[in-house]
Amino acid sequence: MAEFMDLNVSTCEDQSRVLDLISTAAQLGFSTVALNYEFEPSANHRAVPSPTPTNQLIPQLPLVQGRSRPIRVLNRLTIVTSDPGHFRPNAPEYRCYDLLAVRPTTEKLFHAACMMYDVDIISVSVTEKLPFFFKRAPVNGATDRGVVFELSYAAAIRDATRRRYTISNAVSLMESCRGRNVILSSAAEKPLELRGPYDVANLGLLFGLSDGDAKEAVSSSCRSVLLHAETRKTASGVVHTVKSPDTGPAAKRRHLME
Amino acid sequence: MVRVKSRYLLCEVNVSDRTRLLLLDDRAVAETVKATVARIHGDYGAAMCSIRFSVKYLNTHTGIVFLRFPKRCYKLLWSALPFITCIETRGQKIPCFLNCLHVGGTIRTCQKFLIRYNTQQLHRMLPKCKNEEEKQQVRKAILNCILPGGNKQDEDILESDDEEE
Repeated sequence: MAEFMDLNVSTCEDQSRVLDLISTAAQLGFSTVALNYEFEPSANHRAVPSPTPTNQLIPQLPLVQGRSRPIRVLNRLTIVTSDPGHFRPNAPEYRCYDLLAVRPTTEKLFHAACMMYDVDIISVSVTEKLPFFFKRAPVNGATDRGVVFELSYAAAIRDATRRRYTISNAVSLMESCRGRNVILSSAAEKPLELRGPYDVANLGLLFGLSDGDAKEAVSSSCRSVLLHAETRKTASGVVHTVKSPDTGPAAKRRHLME
Repeated sequence: MVRVKSRYLLCEVNVSDRTRLLLLDDRAVAETVKATVARIHGDYGAAMCSIRFSVKYLNTHTGIVFLRFPKRCYKLLWSALPFITCIETRGQKIPCFLNCLHVGGTIRTCQKFLIRYNTQQLHRMLPKCKNEEEKQQVRKAILNCILPGGNKQDEDILESDDEEE
């Protein structure tokens, strides 16, 4: 049995609802969830939201169904870009997030996101008809760089028109990326909008994924996203610097000994 | 002779308020599934769903449902199940979702899986017990979890499962 992950669960002010969401995900058998903070630079000129550390949010993480380990909770930032200036590479605000995603709204930005932006996930909008086509060149470029495309299914559960948009956008994406480097996530706001991992994998069939690809979309592709996120933080996954926690007191002690 | 093949989906009905599970009956579940399939896959889906679809078993205490689908189109019908958001029964709407746990070719393999699954649930319940008496009850229930030799249902195990809820 593979490990299942849901890399998009909406956060809100209400902490008890977030807790409910996390415990439902654990009950369903997801071993990793990512809490999504959405940031739209064009709509309101507020700063990038800062994530709540997970150990502050939940004192004790619930155990995953069928495993003896507690669920892993990550933080993720989604930037909705409509202007090239919205995504600032190497901004210090992005550093405190485990995962970084963009949702481009124009073709130019989609091209830039695929070829240049230092992100892990390109989120495909599912609430409107896409204003552009997915061209082969940028999609292949993203595949080569290890960036994945994300489809979320909660909007499809909510109403019929969005279900049509979700399926049509999904199928047009699958035509150009042939089912590889795609992840399926929930974007759920309520616990009742989450679905079990096997159901999600089967839902992939509606989106034009084959059996194997659909299963990969909830398990191994998500794992490669996490690994890609780690290489983004470190120098291409080889060198990693950490601030030593006890430099202050240790230095003092040495000073005293002398 | 070759038998007519079916697929049995072992699903769990997840609700926010567990006491409302008791209101469910198999006809309500069957109607909801049929309506949802018709909504998602149109007339073709409705036709496929009318051939050999049935609700084989429903446990209102644990919320476990067995659904039988014809083998040739079970994936199509299954892909409609995530779009169920509520079940209407006795004039009430119960907001819920179905979570598929296992897909089997016979009822017996599903039963085996269900017993293993319920044992797992009891193990998850054990640390949450409040007093010693409850703990003893759960331990006893875990020891009772064996597949009976004949065709006896695992009713008693399921019954003991929800005592601590």
